[in-house]
Amino acid sequence: MARELTSSVSPPRAHEARGGGRAAHAPTRPPRWRGRRARGWLYVLPALAVYLGFAIWPALNTLRLSLLTWDGILPATWAGFDNYVEIFQDSALYEAILHSLVLIIFFSFIPIGVGLLMTALLMGKVRRGMTFFRVVFFLPQVLPLVAVGITWRWLYSDSGVVNQFLDLVGLGAITRAWLGDYQLALIALGLIGTWVMSGLCMMLFLTGAQKIDPSLYEAAKLDGAGSFRQFRHVTLPGVRREITVAGVITTIAALASFDLVFVTTNGGPAGQTNVPGLLVYRLAFNEGDIGGASALAVVLTVIVVAVVSAVRYFTRDES
Amino acid sequence: MRITTPARRHALVALGVTAALTLTACAGTSGPAGNTAPKVDVSTTIPSDPVTLTLAYTNDPPTKALIDGFTKKHPNVTIKPQMTPFNDYIKSIKLAMSSDAAPDIAQYNPGAMNSLVPAGLILDLGPWSKAYGWNTKFPPASLEVLSSDKSAKQFGTGSLYAVPGGLSVLGVFYNKKIVKAAPKTLAEFEAAMKQAKDAGHTPLSNGALQVGGFHLWNALLNVTGDVDDYRSWVYGKPGSTIETPAAQKATQLLTDWAKKGYISSSASATADPDALASFAKGGSAFLITGNWAASTLETEMGNDVGFFLMPTESADKPANVASGASVAYAISAKSKHPNVAAAFLDYLGSPEAAKIEFDGGFMPVDTKTELGAQGLRGEISTVFAQVAQNNGIVPFPDFASPGMIDKLTPGIQGLINDKMTPDAFLRSLQESWDAHHGS
Repeated sequence: MARELTSSVSPPRAHEARGGGRAAHAPTRPPRWRGRRARGWLYVLPALAVYLGFAIWPALNTLRLSLLTWDGILPATWAGFDNYVEIFQDSALYEAILHSLVLIIFFSFIPIGVGLLMTALLMGKVRRGMTFFRVVFFLPQVLPLVAVGITWRWLYSDSGVVNQFLDLVGLGAITRAWLGDYQLALIALGLIGTWVMSGLCMMLFLTGAQKIDPSLYEAAKLDGAGSFRQFRHVTLPGVRREITVAGVITTIAALASFDLVFVTTNGGPAGQTNVPGLLVYRLAFNEGDIGGASALAVVLTVIVVAVVSAVRYFTRDES
Repeated sequence: MRITTPARRHALVALGVTAALTLTACAGTSGPAGNTAPKVDVSTTIPSDPVTLTLAYTNDPPTKALIDGFTKKHPNVTIKPQMTPFNDYIKSIKLAMSSDAAPDIAQYNPGAMNSLVPAGLILDLGPWSKAYGWNTKFPPASLEVLSSDKSAKQFGTGSLYAVPGGLSVLGVFYNKKIVKAAPKTLAEFEAAMKQAKDAGHTPLSNGALQVGGFHLWNALLNVTGDVDDYRSWVYGKPGSTIETPAAQKATQLLTDWAKKGYISSSASATADPDALASFAKGGSAFLITGNWAASTLETEMGNDVGFFLMPTESADKPANVASGASVAYAISAKSKHPNVAAAFLDYLGSPEAAKIEFDGGFMPVDTKTELGAQGLRGEISTVFAQVAQNNGIVPFPDFASPGMIDKLTPGIQGLINDKMTPDAFLRSLQESWDAHHGS
């Protein structure tokens, strides 16, 4: 076994030697090196165990359960791909996916826009009160989404703050229970996401922007660039990686949204805000269809991976 | 740090092996098989040696008081309560009951029992029922809901799996400051809502985000429909349907009320506790919910709140059917002391327990006990006794199939928002029923 391991390990080193510049070290690596490498694994082990136990293992289990018919107690029977077939025949899935795609606009696009705007406004100008801004805008991230959801449900209610404000500014005619409105509930829900995610995006972009070499701004200024052009040609490329990160995090939040929807609308009114996460929950815990729920969870994972890959592709750093 | 190719390959192989193991090794997922209930010598006397039982329940107030009441009578018995919040109860009780350390007594829940009964994890209580005479001790309708066939698909038949430890009843609370007297007919009820609306009040508080919406529909169905049809449907009797003229009428009535502005579209975004709070603060004339809200409303509104059952079309024939649930308890098939557990279940139907159940916010299982309650709770117990003695307590409609609640809640929201027709609503309910019971 050991020999096999060695033999299979060595070719890539050769490969690395061919491609990289570290060729000279490879053959003369001191014998202690392997011991150090083993010790390295030791450090990784606790995290690896947690990751395997709480992420990989449950994920594989979900995959297995998705191929079974199981109610949680009685012996499971093999279902093959029946659960998948059933899910794809259910129109509720397509509606739910459509809703979460709409939510991407509110959870991802708008917050990234708002975050960039705030970064442009705050960058290099405000010195005092910066911490205050950060805390205020980051606050929604710190609060549990369930608490956020319940609070917003009250804010949006018939006599809630949102409607009181609209009354105050003379827009009393359009007041309604926003989350109970058939046409507007999804948008109202999305805006809660915007509120939650904007602060996160701003924080990320500000951190990125502060790493930009000030001399770049000076050079741009000397070339006669105004604030907007400085932002466009210096700040924006400087925070490109952060935009990718923000895009990935917020898109996942939109596609995998569950808690916020569960406490604010529970998919209502009349299914207008159903999202795949909610359907997974209902299948598993209301209907006791663990197999179907797992299959749907697998489909949701595939969708998330596909969309996130697309986000990463479109925002990739070409340099 | 870059992962070199072989390392990556190793990882992939490892992943593949694990996946293969997972997929194959456990394909026949463990689980108890069959209905092999152990043989028990049924007895109504309990031993005098010390006995300890565990009891799993969810957050209903009288459970602990009932345990105290029982253990005071039998000092050698200790019952350890294990409380789980309602939202987690159904999920965890299935696992708990199939584990080796299963609780002796478990609060019954139809959602969980449809897998516990077929798995043979809870006892058929038939022998004890005969020995103790439970058929006369408990209201028959309350036992009917707790009986099922071996597959737990059809209820109201087969064996008894649990007995109730407190009942509830669905009706209408009204604000006596806005509405002078309890309406006696549906027409009067509608007129009272119109009057409240014209006077600038919200006629009806409703929490259609949660269960409030279908409770309203259910209350209407209780008075427009035939109780036997409804029971058969909820119990899953083959060939039953909800697409009846009576259900059509109840649904149409609800739609009309929404159109007339008695139920606002904001109900779809209102949770039950919020609807209750709004009514308690005097924000509306009526609230349709169960007796469980009584103690809160009494505290908040004092003598300004009253209760009546959904009125029928004619004042000469007052309602004698109302939906209600029960807290009920089942005995684990793994219990070492089933006779002691059964003695506790029997205690639930005693006059002493009745007092505890009533004080805990439930309607007593022993409907003959004089409670001497005053005020709001006096009003509730009066109308309840009439329904219970008429054997008119029927289960809620979400009992009909596991996915029913996910058709009822959005369906009612659709009706309130005028996005669903009564026909489409009833069809969607029947589809869920057919999927579970077979058409």
